[in-house]
Amino acid sequence: MKMDTPLPAVRLMDLHKRYGDFAAVDGVSLDVRKGEFLTFLGSSGSGKTTTLNMIAGFDDPTSGQILLNGGAVTGLPPQKRNIGMVFQRYTLFPHMTVAENVGFPLSVRRLSKDEVNSRVLDALRLVQLDRFAGRRPSQLSGGQQQRVALARALVYEPQLLLMDEPLGALDKKLREEIQIEIRKLHHRLGVTILYVTHDQEEALRMSDRIAVFEHGRIVQVGSGEDLYHCPATAFVAGFIGNSNFLRGSVAERRSDAAIVKLGENSAVCVPVDAVGGVGSEVRIMIRPEEIKLSHALSDAAGAVIPVTVRERIFLGDTISYEVATRDGQSVLVREDRARNQGRCVGPGTDAYMHIAINQNRVYKKY
Amino acid sequence: MILTRNRLGLFRFVLYGHAVLVMAFLLLPIIFIALLSFGSSRWMMFPPPEWTLRWYEELATDPRWAEAMWLSLRLALIVTVLSVLLGGAAAFALVRGRFAGRRVLKAFFVAPMIVPVVIVAIALYAFSLKVGLNGTFAGFVAGHLIIAVPFSVICISNSLRGFDPALEQAAAICGAGRLETLRRVTIPSIAPGLLAAAVFSFLASWDEVVVSIFMASPQLQTLPVRMWTSLRSDLTPVIAAASTLLVLASLILMALLGLSATRAGRSKMQ
Amino acid sequence: MNAAATSGTFREARAAWPAIAFLFVFFALPVGALMLRSVTDPQWGLQNFSDLLATGTYARVLFNTFLVAAVVTLMSLLIGYPLAWLLVMLPARWQQVLLAILLMSMWTSLLARTYAWLVLLQKTGVINRILLSVGVIDAPLPLVNNLTGVVIGMTYIMLPFVVLPLRATLATLDPALMHAGAVCGASPWRLFRSVLLPLSLPGIGAAGLMVFVMSLGYYVTPALLGGTGNMMLAELIAQTVQSFLNWGLGAAAALVLLCATLALYALHMRYLDEDA
Repeated sequence: MKMDTPLPAVRLMDLHKRYGDFAAVDGVSLDVRKGEFLTFLGSSGSGKTTTLNMIAGFDDPTSGQILLNGGAVTGLPPQKRNIGMVFQRYTLFPHMTVAENVGFPLSVRRLSKDEVNSRVLDALRLVQLDRFAGRRPSQLSGGQQQRVALARALVYEPQLLLMDEPLGALDKKLREEIQIEIRKLHHRLGVTILYVTHDQEEALRMSDRIAVFEHGRIVQVGSGEDLYHCPATAFVAGFIGNSNFLRGSVAERRSDAAIVKLGENSAVCVPVDAVGGVGSEVRIMIRPEEIKLSHALSDAAGAVIPVTVRERIFLGDTISYEVATRDGQSVLVREDRARNQGRCVGPGTDAYMHIAINQNRVYKKY
Repeated sequence: MILTRNRLGLFRFVLYGHAVLVMAFLLLPIIFIALLSFGSSRWMMFPPPEWTLRWYEELATDPRWAEAMWLSLRLALIVTVLSVLLGGAAAFALVRGRFAGRRVLKAFFVAPMIVPVVIVAIALYAFSLKVGLNGTFAGFVAGHLIIAVPFSVICISNSLRGFDPALEQAAAICGAGRLETLRRVTIPSIAPGLLAAAVFSFLASWDEVVVSIFMASPQLQTLPVRMWTSLRSDLTPVIAAASTLLVLASLILMALLGLSATRAGRSKMQ
Repeated sequence: MNAAATSGTFREARAAWPAIAFLFVFFALPVGALMLRSVTDPQWGLQNFSDLLATGTYARVLFNTFLVAAVVTLMSLLIGYPLAWLLVMLPARWQQVLLAILLMSMWTSLLARTYAWLVLLQKTGVINRILLSVGVIDAPLPLVNNLTGVVIGMTYIMLPFVVLPLRATLATLDPALMHAGAVCGASPWRLFRSVLLPLSLPGIGAAGLMVFVMSLGYYVTPALLGGTGNMMLAELIAQTVQSFLNWGLGAAAALVLLCATLALYALHMRYLDEDA
């Protein structure tokens, strides 16, 4: 480690959490940089929330270490970790007003009344709810309640803010509005944020980096673009963005490349170290927008596979096709309307599918 | 944190200890009496010097005790039937009817539960003296029924509320008449509620003390009245034997109810 | 409401008539008549009520009644709250076991349970004998035939009536609220004081009022465990009517008890409504 590397805000070292025989978290290691917006992305039961709960101190790891700003916090109760947290359900104290809710962490810290009042007002202004200071949580809408929860989590300027699917209970439009608001707050305050979601779009929209969880492990960490273009496993490829997986088998291995047969009469060239022996199965991932359909063979680089168009759906800015290869694999294609103009590939017609094989998207197994 | 058991630290053992003590507090007196009823000491020495069935024998053979038991049993059975019939019809009207004053009527039906039982007892006592119900079997039935009906109304209302009336319409479409629908669709569906109503009505009558004390005559006494009067003179272990019988009846009936509840719960899950 | 539901309206309401008639004749009418006697027996006027207030005995009984009810309420809340709290945290299996014990105790013969305490608490009873043999006391404690006995027996009987509604209130609280409080920096004690306790207040109020109301009118337990010197209201009413045949005075005392009961019960219902 270089001398000038700052301490990570959070460092997870080989974290395990077992419930009986079940490993909820199975060896998670991760550094979260100061000021970073990092998202834990995964389906339910993938271990992302358990990991977050261990960072918050609601759960003790079975083994492994958690460092906050370089200090071990194992065994430290949540109230001594100086962390902010926003929960999925709003978890505002129903017997307190909005101002009392936001002031609670400050009064716990024994700040003077004036100090509490002025900081509560500041925090409420930050989320544009200063007019509602005297109301009860039950008199606010879901979105407003969640913004109060955000103010409560930020008012004591914690080093780290944890957010556990904070927008899960809100409808789509409101969710997008608050996503932008949180993003702006992050830029303004520079606080480190650990965000948990199962919504890949939300993860892409908000995060500096995303850690994808599967079966209690992190399978890949990277920026949204990294994950989209170079998914480390077929699971990541399938989880982020739309994707097609073409089935094929290895026909030939040369020193520089391998030939993979897709169906009866088409074949593509792939890097040899991405595949197994001759005859073994291979999955090739192709994004729908990276496929071009045409009636004529073109001489563009990449592979050409003959298909039959099954369905054409007009979606406004894009047109989506469902096509089938000769051996019956269904493939989703999306074309820009602008690019598509003039050509009309109707349902039932035969066409050619032009694909560029990205060497990073060839998988031995799904 | 403080609503999650394993995050409470050592304090949770304080709570565990407290719970154990409270459970002992609730259970031990009952167990103690059951044990004493088999002890040979007339002065209720504990632990008893010897074990005996003498007190149960006395309970069964002494005509004053035996007649009281027999009266209590007949009374409880009749009150159970009447309470389920009256309470069931009333619950049906409360749940299905849409008339003004339904809330008031509901309050009226549960009022005997709220009015202190001693007031019910002396009011009925005064009334019985006027109409000559005092010391009669019918007087006992009326008195116990007042106490039992609210339980029936509540149990059967709850059950009826969970039953979709559309099922009755479906039965009618299938060609079933009103009575047949009631017998083959409605009653089987609310059976758990009816059972609960029956059990609570039986126990309410079987255990009733206050109304019975005022209703009783020297010739006509229920088991609790008999216990009450002998309690005032001495603490004879026969009372412990009678108590054990009362407890046993509650236990069996509550177990029956618990069994039917778990069976209903299971069939709902499937 | 749909048309089918409204059309059946009056036909279905008819089913209530037998119960209405029965309760009217045997409950409402007699209770009403009794209440009337408080101002008509032996002659029209408020004589009975002034007797009730003027005589020292009756005033003391009233005071005793409210005192015992208050102490019993307090004791059952103090004992019941930690149990209800633990109940909502236990795994479902253990919850069921404890609930079964509570329900069983609640529905086991009141007379049998009171009798058990009478035997347990007497001078030669097990409790005094244990305390004597351990050496905590030199002479048997007077635990029964006084207010101590009444409080012990009534607390025992009222406990399930406190624990069950308190548990229902606590079960509606989201444990994540406590997580939120802890993250805000609150210590467990602070969490209890600022979050858990205030949020349980509606349940504590409802359960406490319920027990207080029930205690006010209790007859069997005070009559058996209490002494002749410190009667409670229900016992006084029964005695005035049964032994002294003073119906007017008994009815006046009954009216006082009924009014107190109904007023507190109305308050209890308000509590429940606000909670919902």
